[in-house]
Amino acid sequence: MRILLAEDDPDLSRQLKASLSDAGYVVDHAPDGEEAHFLGDTEPYDCIILDLGLPKIDGVSVLERWRREGKATPVLILTARGAWSDKVAGFDAGADDYLTKPFHTEELLARLRALVRRAAGHAQPLLVCGGLRLDPRAARASVNGEPLRLTSLEYRLLHYLMLHQNRVISRTELVEHLYDQDFDRDSNTIEVFMGRLRKKIGNDRIETVRGLGYRLKPLHDEVGSL
Amino acid sequence: MTPQQWIGKAFSRLIHGRNSLVGRLIRLASAWFIFSLVITAIALTMFFHEAALQRFQVNVSQISNNLLAGTNLEADGSVTPPISDARANFTYSGLYWQVSEVVSGQVVPRASSRSLWHVNLTVPEAILATLQKKPDDVAYYNETGPQRQYLRIAARFSVISGRNFLFIAAEDRGPMDKDVRTFGLVTALALLILAIGSLLSIFFQVRIGLRPLFDLTGEIAGIQRGEQQRIVKTYPAEITPVARQINAFLDDAQEMMERQRMHVGNLAHALKTPLSVLLTAAGDADGALPETVRKQTETMRGQVDHHLRRARAAARAQTLGERTPVEPVLDEMAVMLEQVFQEKGVIIDWRAPEGLSFRGERQDFQEIAGNLLENACIWCKRRIRITAEFIEDEQVLSLSIEDDGPGLDESRFEEVLKRGARLDESVPGTGLGLSIVDELVRAYGGQLKFERAALGGLKVKIRLPGMMENTVG
Repeated sequence: MRILLAEDDPDLSRQLKASLSDAGYVVDHAPDGEEAHFLGDTEPYDCIILDLGLPKIDGVSVLERWRREGKATPVLILTARGAWSDKVAGFDAGADDYLTKPFHTEELLARLRALVRRAAGHAQPLLVCGGLRLDPRAARASVNGEPLRLTSLEYRLLHYLMLHQNRVISRTELVEHLYDQDFDRDSNTIEVFMGRLRKKIGNDRIETVRGLGYRLKPLHDEVGSL
Repeated sequence: MTPQQWIGKAFSRLIHGRNSLVGRLIRLASAWFIFSLVITAIALTMFFHEAALQRFQVNVSQISNNLLAGTNLEADGSVTPPISDARANFTYSGLYWQVSEVVSGQVVPRASSRSLWHVNLTVPEAILATLQKKPDDVAYYNETGPQRQYLRIAARFSVISGRNFLFIAAEDRGPMDKDVRTFGLVTALALLILAIGSLLSIFFQVRIGLRPLFDLTGEIAGIQRGEQQRIVKTYPAEITPVARQINAFLDDAQEMMERQRMHVGNLAHALKTPLSVLLTAAGDADGALPETVRKQTETMRGQVDHHLRRARAAARAQTLGERTPVEPVLDEMAVMLEQVFQEKGVIIDWRAPEGLSFRGERQDFQEIAGNLLENACIWCKRRIRITAEFIEDEQVLSLSIEDDGPGLDESRFEEVLKRGARLDESVPGTGLGLSIVDELVRAYGGQLKFERAALGGLKVKIRLPGMMENTVG
C-alpha cells in the first residue's frame, strides 16, 4: 500500500511517517501544496492524507485540481481549525473523510484502513444514461462530468432509476427498493426525494407518468423531441 | 446593546417619541399658523368696524350740520325746527334730532324731531362742559335712546345771536353693529376653514416629506430582524449620507468580524498542530509520561476550543442581518456524513420545508447541524431522521435529530452538556460536540432539549430564530 502524506509541520510529518511505516504503508511525504499536487498527479497512490493548511497551494485547491483532472484516489483531509465550514469545503472539493487535529494515531490508521477497503470494493459496471454516470463501486455519480452530491436515499433512488432506464417505475416499487423493511413507508417521501433529485440532476431528466410512476429519460431524447 | 440596535432605537425615538421630529414640525407650524390667523381675523374685523363707524358718523354729522344751518330763531325767542330727513317724522324710527338751549346752566329743549315723541335726549355733564369750552366742535358719543336703541350721537354747542344752543343729532347704530358682527363671523368662519385645511396640509407635508426617515427606520429594523444586510433604498440628498454611513458602519463591523474569525482560526491552527505532534509523540505507549502527555494535550485542546468559541461568539454578536437557508446546509451535511460513515451504512433522512431559513451565520448553523449529526452518526445503528419545521407564531426554527442508537438515560441529560464530557470514552470523538452546540444555541437565544426518539435512540431538539421566505410556486 502506497500513500502520500501532505503535511507541512516537520515534527508531525516525521512522527506520522514513522507510525504509517510501522503499520505497513509505503509513505511519500510532500511538505507543500505544489509538491503534493505533483506527486499525487504522477504517482499511483492507494490513499492520500492531505493537510488543508499547506503552504504555496492550500489543500482544498490541490484536491480540486486532482478531482478536475480525474484522479479518484481516496483523500483524507486533516484540519486544524475544526470548523464545519472547512470540512464542508473539503468535501465539496472531493474529500472522502476528515480528521480534526489533534488526533490519536490509532484513529488515523483506522480511518485509512476503511478508506482503502472501500476503494478496493469489487468492480461493478458503470451505469450511463445520457450525461448521467453512476459508479456503483465508489457510490459516486456525475452529470455531464460534474460530480453529484447525493444523500444515500437520493443515490439509491437514482441507482434504481438508472438500472431501469426508460421504464416506468411505480411509486410502490420505488418505496420498496428505497427503504429497508422497518422504515416508515410514507408515499409522500418519494415525492420529496424525487423533487430533490430533480434539483440536482436537472428538472427534465425524470418524467412523471400520471397515475403510473416515474421514468428516467436519456438527455438526447429531449434534444430529439425539440 | 449593539451599535446597530442603538441606531434603530434612536431613529424611532426621533420620529415617534415625545421629542418627535414630526410632532415638533407640526406643533411649531400649527402654533405659528393659528397665531397669525387669529391676528388676521382681529385686524380685519377692527378695520371693518372702524370704516363702518366712520361712514356712519358722516351721516350723523351731516344731520347735525343741517340742523345748525336750518334752525331759525324767531323774534319771539322760539325756535323753528328745520326741515329734515323724512325718517325723523316717524316715531322711534332710529333717526333723531333735538335743539336745546342752555339757559343759565340748564338745558332746555326747544325743538325735537317727531321721531323722538316725548323723549328728551340728554348730554352727559362732562361732554357738555367740554363742548362749552370749544363751541362749534362736534362731539360723538354713544347713549341708550328710546326703546333701548343704542344711539350714536353727534352733539354741538353753538352761540347764535348771543344765545347758547345745543344741537343733537342721533342715529341708531344697531344695524351697523350687526353688519360688523356679521363681517366678523364670516371672517372667522372663512379663516377657520383655511386653518383646518392648512393644518391638514402641514400634517401631510410633514408626514410625506419625512417618509424617507420612516423608510430608513424600517430598513434598520429589517437589518435588526435579519431580513436584510444593508440599507438598499435610494434616499433624498439630506439622508443619503446617513444611509451611507450606516452601510459603511455595517461593512466595518462585518469586516472586523471576518478578521477576528481569521485570527481565531490562525490561532487554532498554530496551537493545534503542535498539540498533534505531542499526542503523536506520546503514541499509545504505556507509562506515566505518555499518559500525562495524552491527558494534558486533551485538556489543552479543550481549553483552546473553549476560548476560541468564546471569541467567535463575541465576534458574532456584532453581526446582524445574516440568514442561512436550512435546506442546503442539511443536504451538504447529510451527503458528507453518509460518506464518512459509509462503512456503517448510515442513512440520513432529512426533511425541511423549502424557504425555511435560520436567522444567523451559516458557519454557526453548520457547526450546530454538523456536531449534532456527527454525534447521531457515531451513536446510531443505521438510521437518522432530521426534521426541520417553522413555528410561525414564534418565528422559530425547530430542528430535531433522532437516531436509532442506544439512546441516553434521562439522568445523564444534564451531564452530557458539560464541557468535554463524553457519552462513552470508548467511542472516538472529541466529546465537545454537544457543549459547542449548546453554547451556540444559547448565543442565539435558542433552546436545546433531549428526548427519547421514536426510532429508539436519542432525540435532540433545538429551537433557533428562524424565518420563512415566500417561495414562488
